[in-house]
Amino acid sequence: MHVVVAGISHKTASLELRERLALDEAAALRLSQELLDDGVACEAVALSTCNRTELYLYGRDSLAARQAALQRLARHAGVAPSELEPSLYSYSGDGAITHLFRVTSSLDSMVVGEAQIVAQLKAAYQMACDGGCTAVVFNRLFRHALEVGKRVRTETAIGERPVSVSSAAVELALQVFGKFRDHTVLIVGAGETSELTATHLKAHGIEKILVANRTLDTSMDLARRVGGEAVRFEDLEHHLSAADIVISSTSAPHYVITRETVERAFKRRRHRPMFLIDIAVPRDLDPEINRVRDAYLYDIDDLQHVVEHNRHEREKEAEHAERIVDQELASVNDWLRSLEVVPTIATLREAVEDIRRGELERLSNRLSDLTDEQRARVDMLTTSIVNKILHVPTVKMKEVAGRDQCYLYVDAVRTLFDLDTDEGGEERPAGEASADGAGREAGQAAGERSDAESAESPASSTPPASGGTVHHLRGTGTEDA
Amino acid sequence: MEQTSAILIWLAYLLYAAAFAVFLIGFFTQRPWTNRVGIIVAAAGLVAQTLGLVFRGVSAGHFPFSGLYESMVLVAWAIVLVWHVLEAFTKIKAVGLYVMPVVLVLLTAALVSYDPPAGLVPALRSDVVIVHVAVMLVAIGCLYVAGGAAIIYLIEETLLRRRKPGGVLGRLPSLAALDRLIYHATLLGLPFLTMGMAAGVIRAETFRVPGWPTDPMVLLSAAAWAVYLALIAGRVRGDWSGRSVSWLAVAGLVLLLVIRFAAVPYLSGFHTYGG
Repeated sequence: MHVVVAGISHKTASLELRERLALDEAAALRLSQELLDDGVACEAVALSTCNRTELYLYGRDSLAARQAALQRLARHAGVAPSELEPSLYSYSGDGAITHLFRVTSSLDSMVVGEAQIVAQLKAAYQMACDGGCTAVVFNRLFRHALEVGKRVRTETAIGERPVSVSSAAVELALQVFGKFRDHTVLIVGAGETSELTATHLKAHGIEKILVANRTLDTSMDLARRVGGEAVRFEDLEHHLSAADIVISSTSAPHYVITRETVERAFKRRRHRPMFLIDIAVPRDLDPEINRVRDAYLYDIDDLQHVVEHNRHEREKEAEHAERIVDQELASVNDWLRSLEVVPTIATLREAVEDIRRGELERLSNRLSDLTDEQRARVDMLTTSIVNKILHVPTVKMKEVAGRDQCYLYVDAVRTLFDLDTDEGGEERPAGEASADGAGREAGQAAGERSDAESAESPASSTPPASGGTVHHLRGTGTEDA
Repeated sequence: MEQTSAILIWLAYLLYAAAFAVFLIGFFTQRPWTNRVGIIVAAAGLVAQTLGLVFRGVSAGHFPFSGLYESMVLVAWAIVLVWHVLEAFTKIKAVGLYVMPVVLVLLTAALVSYDPPAGLVPALRSDVVIVHVAVMLVAIGCLYVAGGAAIIYLIEETLLRRRKPGGVLGRLPSLAALDRLIYHATLLGLPFLTMGMAAGVIRAETFRVPGWPTDPMVLLSAAAWAVYLALIAGRVRGDWSGRSVSWLAVAGLVLLLVIRFAAVPYLSGFHTYGG
């Protein structure tokens, strides 16, 4: 069994393709369910954000799962699979789990360290879970992934530092003022970045925003959008003395605020510091302002430097985060490996028990002259032989569970005893056969439970309870019929 | 008893060193957990040091303030205590970066000049002296912390002004927070300094110490007192910038250091509690 991921992201696909592949909630769930119906996977989660669309699958054949995912995605996007192929990446096993962890840690994001991905992944998982598309493995794996995201966030500083000009401006202002209390922001000129910065400041608790623009209408518009107050441009100097943060982005060809203006403003505001941000090119604010005591002036280049610096810091932190991902991969792998052992033992015992019963049945004519008591003894004897033979392999398998090479033993047992053959499908309709495949994996995942059920199983090497387990797995009763 | 005390104080020393290391890691890597862990480790050191001082006091048979060893351990203890109290109220990080090395220097000085517990010389057997020492400890603790915050403020302010905020952002507290810490620490320390000086004057007067008003230590103390008073006055009136306030706090700190490490051992005629 393998975890498989197939998808596209900002690293492989154009925006246009990403748009076509974007899945809303209903589409994501439908796609997952279709893949379960295809029988290539027994668990599925679809993740769709503006930068990526990915399908996580848990199935026996990773190549088949990838192909099915490709087909389904192509059909959804309305493109030929061959067209999608070059943009599609896929990983299986460790690679897929590492990818999932890297995604939740925002190491694979366009902006490394951004925080939304955790919530997006949580929502995607929750929806798949509610829609019955996940079971033991993905329930555990995705919860673990969310924990990894959390761990990376608390143990590294990957998301600590802002990497956009407007949020860097806010961070700088906070470095001067601490918390915003009754601070005032003065916006001079109406530009996109200044509006964005004002919105950020507002989110950090700034209440008073003044907007001054040469045309009063524009300033009133902007004031309405950011929840501020429009003031006359002619009164700029007057309002300057009340402003703690000044954001300037006019298209004026000359300095709008000079050093002398700021000095006069400081006479009135005493020594409360003033933080000035000049986003305009050509500059609005006289660079000499920085020489005024308690005035801090940052222009667009300075802010860009801060952003660059922060990007660099995030990259350094990303290395640390990668190590965390590696550690977590190891811990989840231990669990996944041990997961395969128990159902394999159960299937093995079942298969051998089937042989025993089959042989007894076959010989029932020749044994017909035995008394009931003798018949019971034969039954006991054969059971005892089977148990004796299986005892050592069972113990050994349990011993290797969780070890590195565990899957080799699982594979060996499955191959030697031919436990993976899916026979008995002749009489079954195709749909049910695939549902049975899904059911079997769920039966394996459920471990001991299927072990108990197997005692009453009919003579077939395919584990029972397909309908019932599928019902449990999918949350729909249709396969029961 | 004395052995236990010495072990505890060594333990405190190691814990403070560990806390300092954690603060340094925090400063350079910006790991979110470092500040809390550093403070907890330093708090463990404070507990060890407190017990060490208690045991020392019991074995010496008096409040442990006599001699270089005891006085240094005591001053270091007061600084850590005041820092913890201020930290609990202001939740300000990065001051540990300054406090821990200062404490480590003081404790190193104490440990290299270890002397076994001894009885008090007659001149120190006085309740006024005990009061003088106790309130001075609180004052010194506060004013050292204020000085540290001021040093951080000046460095940070310069970096912000030169538009090199890389080493500042996310690592050091905001200027406003440091400014408040300087003010609050001084506001708390100044009354204790005043009381301590008053107790000293009372002691000098009652024992008729000759020429005490012109003793260099007394003059320097008066100067430090005036500096701190000016700081508070300027800050309350609001006509001094954070920079000026910080320079005053640093000036006060320098005076206190000169008093302790130059005036007391070499210049002062009577104030000889330490080596």
